Amino acid sequence: MIVLGISCYYHDGSAAIIRDGEIVAAAQEERFDREKYSPAFPIQAINFCLQQAGVTIYDVDEVAFYEKMYLKFERTIISHLIGWPFTFRNFLDTMPLWLKDRLAVSFAVEDELSFKKPVRYIKHHLSHAASAFLVSPFEEAAIMTVDGVGEYACATWGSGHGTRIDIRQEMHYPHSLGLLYSIFTAFLGFRVFTGEGKVMALAEFGEPDYLDKFRQIIDLRPDGSFRLDTRYFSFNKGETMHNKRFEELFGPPRPPGPDFTDRHYAIAASLQRMTEEIVLTMARHVHEQTGLNKLCLAGGVSLNVTANSRIREEGPFDDLFIQPAAGDAGAALGAASYVYHALSGRPRGPVMHSAALGPEYKDRAIEVLLRNSGARYRRLERDELLAETARRIADNQVVGWFQGRSEFGPRALGNRSILANPANPDMKDHLNRVVKHREPFRPFGASVLRERVGDYFEFDGDSPFMLLVARIRPDKLGSIPAVTHVNHTSRIQTVTPEHNGIYYDLIAEYYRQTGMPMVLNTSFNKKEPIVNTPDEALACFNDSGMDCLVMNQFLVERNDR
Amino acid sequence: MTMPASAESIPVGTLCRRCVLPHAPPDIWLDAEGICNICHNYDREVATAPKDERGLLETDFLKILDKHRGKHEYDCLCMLSGGKDSTAALYYVKERYKLNPLVFTFNHGFVPDEHLESARRTVKKLGVDWIYFHTPFMKDMFRKIVQTKSKVVICPVCSLWYMLKTYEIAAMFDVPIIVSGWTKGQTTGGSRSVLSKCACDQNPDEFRAMSQATREFMDKHVRTDPKYKDFPRNMDEVLKIAKKKYKSKAIVLSPHWFVPGGPEEYVPIIKEKLGWDYPARSYPKKSTNCDLNFLATKRAIRDYGYSVYHIEMANLIRMGLITREEALALLETDFDPAILDDIYSKLGTPSESLA
Repeated sequence: MIVLGISCYYHDGSAAIIRDGEIVAAAQEERFDREKYSPAFPIQAINFCLQQAGVTIYDVDEVAFYEKMYLKFERTIISHLIGWPFTFRNFLDTMPLWLKDRLAVSFAVEDELSFKKPVRYIKHHLSHAASAFLVSPFEEAAIMTVDGVGEYACATWGSGHGTRIDIRQEMHYPHSLGLLYSIFTAFLGFRVFTGEGKVMALAEFGEPDYLDKFRQIIDLRPDGSFRLDTRYFSFNKGETMHNKRFEELFGPPRPPGPDFTDRHYAIAASLQRMTEEIVLTMARHVHEQTGLNKLCLAGGVSLNVTANSRIREEGPFDDLFIQPAAGDAGAALGAASYVYHALSGRPRGPVMHSAALGPEYKDRAIEVLLRNSGARYRRLERDELLAETARRIADNQVVGWFQGRSEFGPRALGNRSILANPANPDMKDHLNRVVKHREPFRPFGASVLRERVGDYFEFDGDSPFMLLVARIRPDKLGSIPAVTHVNHTSRIQTVTPEHNGIYYDLIAEYYRQTGMPMVLNTSFNKKEPIVNTPDEALACFNDSGMDCLVMNQFLVERNDR
Repeated sequence: MTMPASAESIPVGTLCRRCVLPHAPPDIWLDAEGICNICHNYDREVATAPKDERGLLETDFLKILDKHRGKHEYDCLCMLSGGKDSTAALYYVKERYKLNPLVFTFNHGFVPDEHLESARRTVKKLGVDWIYFHTPFMKDMFRKIVQTKSKVVICPVCSLWYMLKTYEIAAMFDVPIIVSGWTKGQTTGGSRSVLSKCACDQNPDEFRAMSQATREFMDKHVRTDPKYKDFPRNMDEVLKIAKKKYKSKAIVLSPHWFVPGGPEEYVPIIKEKLGWDYPARSYPKKSTNCDLNFLATKRAIRDYGYSVYHIEMANLIRMGLITREEALALLETDFDPAILDDIYSKLGTPSESLA
């Protein structure tokens, strides 16, 4: 049986395909149409998934869509009616989107894909839940999903047993942690979707002095549910989602730009602490209610690595599985998984140990590109390639690293990564300024050998998808400044030979040469979506301050040096 | 683009540093960096393409197929030479897209038995209906091309004939889609042009001189011959005749335009599934073209400095599907002169000097 999952029309348009229980491919449309968080119908991602599976749409048994659009439309209409006439402008802006695309998913699937059977619509948070539980290593587990908003639900919890998922409680719009985070992201002068991670980074520079004010607008209950005081917000009513009363409490919004004050740091810190408090309270309640010792997480809020880590460290669960594509991209995979396993009753497939589900390129395609573009390159044997790359990282070179299949989800996990020396105190600024062209306060993550993670971090266990932070051991403070955030933590990815292949071997070689069991790992991009093809990698390399590029077995030097 | 003054001092025949086309003014010329105007045209087209324009996708192909699927006795007419590209196209149509094709192979008398045998084997394995069409109709025209010392290139003239025949057969069997095995390199003008003109546009710079020679040859030597008085002068006339005389609205498509990669993807498939293999001799290397290609290529290189295969390979280089070195190796004209003598003999005309 083959099931194709689709998400689109808001953000993170994506496709995933499951064949005989195995996730054969999954990819975000942004990697193809080069628009960050592309909301488009993921026609290119779908074509890739089908071709990767070696099938056409005629072989697909079911198409699953990641939410119930009519239910969502109902909520939208009700929301507009409640705020009428102040919602009029927003109503005019959004209705064309609904009528043209969102309510016409079935038509799009039939027209664009020639798929004639009915589409299976799976509720948004159920798709998230399935994306976390059905691909996890757990036979039974508690499940928590938290994001902006689906149809009505903004957060849910429940449990999974085998192929069954029971959602036991939902928290409904507008009482949404994801939306709250986005509202403050915009308030702090960042763009929604791209700025949440920046707010998280900013939070560590301040003290949570505004927590009391947050408690004025949020009524957190013992079960982790909460209610926003809607008097402070203007959902669907204007340019911003906060109102004048909100500004009286938090002060004026920060204009976009490089300047921050202590107030901005404090608001970000308070938001982050509040977020952690909510998810931690929710996790404790879920544990109490389900009696289960393992937890699966998905939904956009599960990309909040600090909150995830607090659940892991302070929460009641023994083990966690977090879907690497925790945002709506992963919901395409979740919808497909739900149809395949839960609705069709087919047994669970292989565990999702790796996010490497995107396109890969053969040596020939890369060599044709390098030859025709006049690049300076050498083909190296594997051992030589690893030794040379490790040596260059140790020599403080910034290396573009392009190997195998691209990652599904927002993190580069060693297949489309930029690598550097974590011990170099100047590397963070150099990367932010010269290579990535981004804000100076943003930290970088580390990819560390799984068996050596305890050497540097107060951490023991797995973090395969870089969705957890770890405190740096006191005796190692100062030894890895390029991956040390201001609060002495680091976002880490643990790598293993089983699931990371040549990337593990590279870090092992780096360890052999330097005694350092990790490299700095940041996504291979510069403002635009993570590179997907060799052409994009070469263009990004040529247009950045990277020192060399490794694509499969080829080591590419800069032409201008 | 206008040819810069610096190009005038470049020796004719100097190859573009990026593709394999030679400096052949006024249509093809190199700039000071040694890059040809055709490469620049390509780059400009890519750079000015609308941001939201994407390449052709397999689902686009299926959308077209599904408009016609099951509505006619045959869903499509597949042109099969027995070569890798048309064999793979037929294989895709039958096995991957699950259509019911009618297959058509023509032989103007210069198709080697090995190619025909390959086609025969393929249709048998796939269990599809096949029309094999053998006629000496074009032989006099080919002879005339050689005897008149015209600069007309054989392949474009032949393509006018076989495309007209293909449309005629499509009309005869009421087939809505013609499927060819044309590669990505055999298209000009990008994906928009491919879909609107069925890749039959022979007016870009690199074809201009050849098209002009074809038109002149047609007017001077073909239309004056009663046997060929209705022969089309160019592909636009083929389309007009197809529409008016045969009432055919068939569109021409190749699956290769819609799926990623090239022969490295599909040759292993047809080898495994159909027992296909490269023929012993053909030009360019690793192709399955008729014997006339040897003569056509030699003459085209003599008259223009390049052939239609140089144009195709140049396209493939620009698209990143082949290296320049690989293209040059495939295009080497180091074939046995006895092949040319054999062709002249079949044409019943003495050999020319093709140095």
